[in-house]
Amino acid sequence: MSVPLISLTLASLAVGTVATFLAGRYARWVALGTSALFLLEIGILFSGYAWPGLLHGIPQFAFYESHAWISIGWLTINYTVGVDGISLVMILLTGILQIATVLYTWNEQNRPAAWFGLVLLTCLGCFGVFVALDILFFFLFWEAVLVPMFFIIGYWGGPNRRYAAIKFFVYTHVASIVMLVGLLALAFYSHAASLDFAAVYAAEPALTGVVPAFLFLALFFGFGVKFPVVPFHTWLPDAHVEAPTGGSVLLAGLLLKLGAYGLIRWGVEVVPNGFHTDTPILLVIAFASIIWGSVLSLSQRDLKRMVAYSSINHMGIVLLAIALNSELGLVAALFLMFAHGIVSALLFMTAGSTHHIYGTRDIPSLGGTASATPRLATAIMIGSLASLGLPALISFPAEFTALLATWQALAYWVLIPLVVLVVTAGFYIWMMQRVLFGPPKGIPNPVHDLPALEVIAMGILIAFTVLFGILPDLLVHWIVLSPIGVWPL
Amino acid sequence: MSLIATLLDFLPEVLLLAGALLVFLLDAIGIRRIEVVGSVAVGAILLAMLFVFADLGFAPVAFLATVPTSLIDAVPASGSTPLYWFTSLGFFFQIFFLIAAFLVALASMSRPSHERGAAVFYGMILLATLGMMLVAVASDLIFLLIAIELVGIPSYLLVAYTRRDVRSMEAAMKFFIVGALSTVLSFFGASFLYGAYGTTNLFVLASGSAVNSGALGGGGFPLLVAIGYCLLIAGLAFKITLVPFHAWAVDVYDGAPDDVSAFLAGGTKKIGLFAFFLVFLGPVLLIRGTVEFQWFGGIGPVALGPVLQIVLSVLAVVTMTIANVLALMQKSMKRMLAYSSISQAGYMLIGIAVGTAPALTGASLQVFSHVVMKSGAFLVVAAAASLGVGPLIADWRGMGQRHPWLSVSFAVMLLSLAGVPLTVGFLSKFVLFSAAVEAQGYFIWLAVAGLLNSALSVFYYGRVLKVMYFDGPDPALPAPPGTDRSASEAAPVLALRAGGIGYARATTIALIAIVIVVLGIYPGPLLQPLAAAAQHFVNLGL
Repeated sequence: MSVPLISLTLASLAVGTVATFLAGRYARWVALGTSALFLLEIGILFSGYAWPGLLHGIPQFAFYESHAWISIGWLTINYTVGVDGISLVMILLTGILQIATVLYTWNEQNRPAAWFGLVLLTCLGCFGVFVALDILFFFLFWEAVLVPMFFIIGYWGGPNRRYAAIKFFVYTHVASIVMLVGLLALAFYSHAASLDFAAVYAAEPALTGVVPAFLFLALFFGFGVKFPVVPFHTWLPDAHVEAPTGGSVLLAGLLLKLGAYGLIRWGVEVVPNGFHTDTPILLVIAFASIIWGSVLSLSQRDLKRMVAYSSINHMGIVLLAIALNSELGLVAALFLMFAHGIVSALLFMTAGSTHHIYGTRDIPSLGGTASATPRLATAIMIGSLASLGLPALISFPAEFTALLATWQALAYWVLIPLVVLVVTAGFYIWMMQRVLFGPPKGIPNPVHDLPALEVIAMGILIAFTVLFGILPDLLVHWIVLSPIGVWPL
Repeated sequence: MSLIATLLDFLPEVLLLAGALLVFLLDAIGIRRIEVVGSVAVGAILLAMLFVFADLGFAPVAFLATVPTSLIDAVPASGSTPLYWFTSLGFFFQIFFLIAAFLVALASMSRPSHERGAAVFYGMILLATLGMMLVAVASDLIFLLIAIELVGIPSYLLVAYTRRDVRSMEAAMKFFIVGALSTVLSFFGASFLYGAYGTTNLFVLASGSAVNSGALGGGGFPLLVAIGYCLLIAGLAFKITLVPFHAWAVDVYDGAPDDVSAFLAGGTKKIGLFAFFLVFLGPVLLIRGTVEFQWFGGIGPVALGPVLQIVLSVLAVVTMTIANVLALMQKSMKRMLAYSSISQAGYMLIGIAVGTAPALTGASLQVFSHVVMKSGAFLVVAAAASLGVGPLIADWRGMGQRHPWLSVSFAVMLLSLAGVPLTVGFLSKFVLFSAAVEAQGYFIWLAVAGLLNSALSVFYYGRVLKVMYFDGPDPALPAPPGTDRSASEAAPVLALRAGGIGYARATTIALIAIVIVVLGIYPGPLLQPLAAAAQHFVNLGL
């Protein structure tokens, strides 16, 4: 491959980010342009991936680039990037959420240049995580996501933002450290030739005994906090409640996916032996997250906090699907990640708009919003229905696949997520009943429905919700193009 | 060996001495302007650096080399007990020391032109640097300790050179007393080792051979060796401010003039680290499980190397943890930086405890990055003080808006100290902790401890960033000149001048910030030869 497309994309994002920071009052336009260019580049990545002859090495990646960065004998670090179907799907999610966030927060008045710059920086970091095939660069981008999100929560957040930002930072940073030591130990204990994904992948069979199981646990701790899984989930509701809407969108839509992506890419793929040994632990934690997230969201009054807890529930299903250790499970996990990214982003946008219009997100003090603000009510409804898994919307095929895979692997254990799904449906319907319908409550006069830009932003997400709900194969096609079959599952 | 040849081997040191003498001479004939004196000092330092680079064999200047290549990285003939030896790692450390001196010397030229004591300041900087250079070539314990003393005496004077500030005087007294105590401890330790081995030559000590065979007969003197190393650890630990030998450092760095703090924290402290390299890497590497000695009362045999490694590991973890926790509690900017400096010493000690060539590479790189970052941070504090910013962290409120370029540079240094990617501070920690993982065994926990401490340190650095950028300007403060943001953003140079910190200081600070970022992204030119030098050093077996 002669054109270093991934590096060019990274460069365009980086240049766009810097330009946004410096652009002053034109920042939003620069951000929009960067996002549009990013989408174009994603399109080229997709078309290029389908092109035969681009695949490189095993496991196979397209647009593979590798350049030496540090080479001092014992420590060889290359700048290595590449994409496969798994990362492509996540990159698509990044592109969609980036442009949707930029549009949604178009009228940000508080330091707009810094705001849009940080949004782009977050997306740059996520893109980097999805393409990096080297331990150091993976970690670099991983941490690069943390910093802008810390500032987004800490500067633009709600009244308790300082506490939330610091809690977010502590949890995820400590987790990153354990992850980094795990990855380094993986490379050094197996005497990998370099810190490249391919080198570590090739060297891993050299590990014997309990070493892979412990290393996988270290990695799982690092990725699990980001998921987040019970019992490391408590940073998430706080961060979401305090984060500005745009921050919540990126947090739920993208940051949580980093954990799942990392677990698949660097855990399941690289340390299959440890993964097999630790599967029972993963299953227990997955079930606990599913149940706990769902029960807690049932008892929430704050719209955002409710969506945040339901995220824990959904990511629990993702973990369950991964832990099933089957090809179908992995496909389901990836599809669910994408679906949750879109739907939770939509729900957080509606929660933000609700707060904006009605001055509160408190569910009991809202009522009858359907007639007062029909556009917002429609968006809340579509988001909630998608989240509870209504057919023809994106979560349905994803969750159905996950349950099917659970049935295949664990038989009657599938009843746990199934029952919990009913609870999930219950709290969404109960929320809609109270907020959208019923007697009007807390409605200001005059009331303004969603502005056009927010409609566009949500419209983009709704369009993908419907598109992939009806035609899931458009997305699954790319996932299964990845050599899942050759993975040592 | 003729005198001329010996002097040529020490050409950089001779140049520093000449510079110091010239500074005093100028003072005697009444030329005291800080620009003149400072230029002489900076010139001497740069010239010395040029020749060290030449000795290292850097292509464009290699023809200037004065030390014969046959002497560099060469094991001395068996039976010979040289006082000094030349290693490429030693040359690297000389360069690090010279960089510290250069940064401080250059930045200080921005002080008031007719300030008293310029000659003392620059003269003592040059003499202290001379001592640091000699530490880097020592191969005999007595030579090493005298070189350390040569650094110590000018440093005491540097702390007190203003002669007016009571706090400086107090700091100087503390520094002097603790310094004298640590010297005594080190020499006492050396005398015990002399008793056990019959020599203070580091090569003989490193081989550990005399312990069992008993140069003085009778199956060796394990207790002498143990006491000797304990006293040496204590004495040198004072120099590199390891917990629990650290308490003086905070008061001294806090009380000393800001530029001097930069030199002490960024520069002189690192000699103790190289002394640790010299004294302990030999035992740690060579006696690892090979040479054992019988303890008193039939306990043993105990291998000396692993015991030393455990002691150093514990010291490293205790140092970084306690210093980080204490740094979290500080309200004064300089005290916070002082504690952070102590914690960084803990990171560096990891490299010695692990004792492999990779770990040595990491520790040396950490020394370099700390030289740059910590000198830079103290120089920024000095610049801010000249702008009327108070000593507390809270006094930095709104600096991000009032002095955007100074704040950005400071932010880069703090992020680098915290180990945030794209800075040289991240790179050095990454290499160091990777090396600890690479060594396997219990050293992986050193990496975990170091990384957790880095996470902890993010808070106190982050708090400064928060104060600078998130907390609005103190409403009680009158608007200083240069607050017009549009003007200052349009013309950075103008902003620096409007900020009133002076060109020399602004140049130094900008240079440091640029170096931190550039080497963080493109470390090859430094890392490659440094790794080779560390490998040579370990191969030499000392």
